[in-house]
Amino acid sequence: MKNRAALIFGYNDYALEIAKNIRDEYENIYLYSLNSEQDILKNKSGFEVKSFDLSDKWDELNENIDIEKSIAFCVLEDSAENIFLTISLRSSFDALNIIALSNNKQTASKLQMAGANKVIPLVQTTAEMISEMLQKPIVKEVFHNILFESGALKIAQVKIDENNKYIGEAISEIDWSSRYGVMILAIVYEDMSSEFIYSSKIKHHIVNKDNLFIVVGYESDIKEFEKITGSRCD
Amino acid sequence: MNFLSRLVVNGAYFLNTSESYQRKKRFFYDILENDRFQYKKYFDIFMIILIFSSVAILIIEVKSEMNIYLKFFNVYVISFIFFIEYILRFWISSSVSEIIIYRSDHAIALGRKFYLYKAIISVIKAKLSFVFSIKAVIDLLAILPFFHELRLLRLFVLFRIFKLFRYTKSFQTFTSVLATKKFEFFILLMFSSVVIFVSSVLIYVMEAHNPASPVNTFFDAVYWSIVTISTVGYGDIVPVTTEGRVVAAFVIIAGISVLAFTTSIIVSAFTEKIDEIIEIKTIDNIRKLKHFYLICGYEGVAQEVAKKLKSSKITIIVLDEDIDRIKSAKKDGLIAVNYDPGNIESYKKIGIDLNTQVESILCLRESDVENVYTTLTVRSISKDVNIISLLMDDANRNKLKFAGANEIFYPKGLVGMISKELIGRPVAFEVIHALRNDYYGVEVEEILVDDRISQNLVHVRELNNVKFRVVLLGIYKKETKRFFFNPIEGTLLESGDYLLVIGNSAFIREFEKHLHKKIKT
Repeated sequence: MKNRAALIFGYNDYALEIAKNIRDEYENIYLYSLNSEQDILKNKSGFEVKSFDLSDKWDELNENIDIEKSIAFCVLEDSAENIFLTISLRSSFDALNIIALSNNKQTASKLQMAGANKVIPLVQTTAEMISEMLQKPIVKEVFHNILFESGALKIAQVKIDENNKYIGEAISEIDWSSRYGVMILAIVYEDMSSEFIYSSKIKHHIVNKDNLFIVVGYESDIKEFEKITGSRCD
Repeated sequence: MNFLSRLVVNGAYFLNTSESYQRKKRFFYDILENDRFQYKKYFDIFMIILIFSSVAILIIEVKSEMNIYLKFFNVYVISFIFFIEYILRFWISSSVSEIIIYRSDHAIALGRKFYLYKAIISVIKAKLSFVFSIKAVIDLLAILPFFHELRLLRLFVLFRIFKLFRYTKSFQTFTSVLATKKFEFFILLMFSSVVIFVSSVLIYVMEAHNPASPVNTFFDAVYWSIVTISTVGYGDIVPVTTEGRVVAAFVIIAGISVLAFTTSIIVSAFTEKIDEIIEIKTIDNIRKLKHFYLICGYEGVAQEVAKKLKSSKITIIVLDEDIDRIKSAKKDGLIAVNYDPGNIESYKKIGIDLNTQVESILCLRESDVENVYTTLTVRSISKDVNIISLLMDDANRNKLKFAGANEIFYPKGLVGMISKELIGRPVAFEVIHALRNDYYGVEVEEILVDDRISQNLVHVRELNNVKFRVVLLGIYKKETKRFFFNPIEGTLLESGDYLLVIGNSAFIREFEKHLHKKIKT
């Protein structure tokens, strides 16, 4: 039987940090190393380390992994190797969700061209956090807590069910925050395009089945909101 | 210690500990010598105006009858002001009380007898070193036109021009650059002197006996040599004999070499010093800044941070020991200085006040060793300045904390957290990311509730944010340091609180204006 797994390519600090953070989401986490013999010997991370090389045809993955439900992280430190790896995975697996790490803007666009679903621009993201810390320290703290910390305030993706009582009503006419204690930040449409609730376009938007609401609120309020509107899809 | 010595030492201690005396002395030091003192420039401008007025009056006086008031102004008022300035400079040049206290303490520490005359000699030596300094001599000579009855002394008004050196930095820079080529100028002077002397003797010997020649005295010969070697050649004295003309040919060739040599010395002095001059100017500008971010190390993350902070009103200064990185920072339009951020001397040389001028110090080298070292250096100078540092290896987190970093950014950890969000709530993550980075014109902003807002608006319900299509995400209370999401309408607005609002950038600006305009009725 094929497994749902997180495949992390590269045995380095990035890989170990990713593995630590996603261990609750994925039962099977495999770290792939280009230098497997040494890495297997010194591995004390608790995750399974496997070997691969860039000319791999990925037969083992094909046999054992449920590609559609799995995710791959390309975090090799050498940018050229990382791009090559991404192309190699994409050419073999159309349905694989690939997240790649880039160290600069140029590499980021190449990784996207190579087929990565999402690129984490490391330098830019760090710089954004630092500049936000300096210019908007409270915004940084609040959003950091919402996203990364286990505080009371949460962000959630809530899908509108077909039986929802608000279907057909204009979104701006409902006072969600005083009714449910949650704030809707954005709506994601069926075609996965999203719109901020504060944009002028959305003012007359009518709530539809399968709309995805991005909401912020306390855990208990979000649960209440889910009961009425639909299902959480985190 | 006899009575007189004791009296003098006690007097010295009194002056040294007298706050009002020290404050006055400090004030005069600042206005005369401290370039960072905000009022010094006005004093300098005032003195420059006096100098030019004085010289203008001298020029007018040559052929016209001078107005009696102008004469009085020139002879008495300007000279008196210069005299007062001289006395003040004499006063602040060294501290008499400190010299006496030092001598007294020294004698006590070594168990020796305190001799008042030795202390007085030290004081005289210190004061004489001021009196005989070039600048002080010029100052003194500039006062001399005060004795206007002696006509020759009136020419000393020209020394007032030299006083300009005191008040204009560019003059000081010019002389300091030329001073670096002292040896070359000395060689040039020797060469010119030898050529002038030899040619003067030769032309005198060749021409003086000839009645048709204008060279009659040795002074004529020297004058001709100087005019010729300098390539000026007035033509009032010309050699008439063949021998004299041969000498003239040699002097002309020597003159061209002297001119070329002089030009090349000046040009090379400025070429060699141009970077230094620019750096001095940069440092001078940094010292004048009231607030800035100091980025230590200009590598990948630092470059991106600088780009993002450029839009803020606060200036960014880059400090790096690597000249290539400094060049890159300058190319990016930043003020950058080539100093080692890990060295205490760097901060002393730049002369910045870490407590008052620097908003935050960003240690952004991609090396924990460098960042820990810089953090420790900065912390040893200032206990309060906010230090933000990059961390490359989590094993070094405690070292950075111990060194005194206030905030630590660990990019690898960030990748882990982002990955978790990307697999859990990818759309929500994207939305927050877009919001934080002001994509699509929608942004999240924090608005400080200042005294004016808190006096005019008491409760959240009075904010009227809905009218401006701005959503109040929450309120950060200064008192409790807690964030209250979706606050109820009765929440009190207090000075120092922050409102976190989301909306279109233009609407937020309008809302801010409304908050500051609103007057309670």
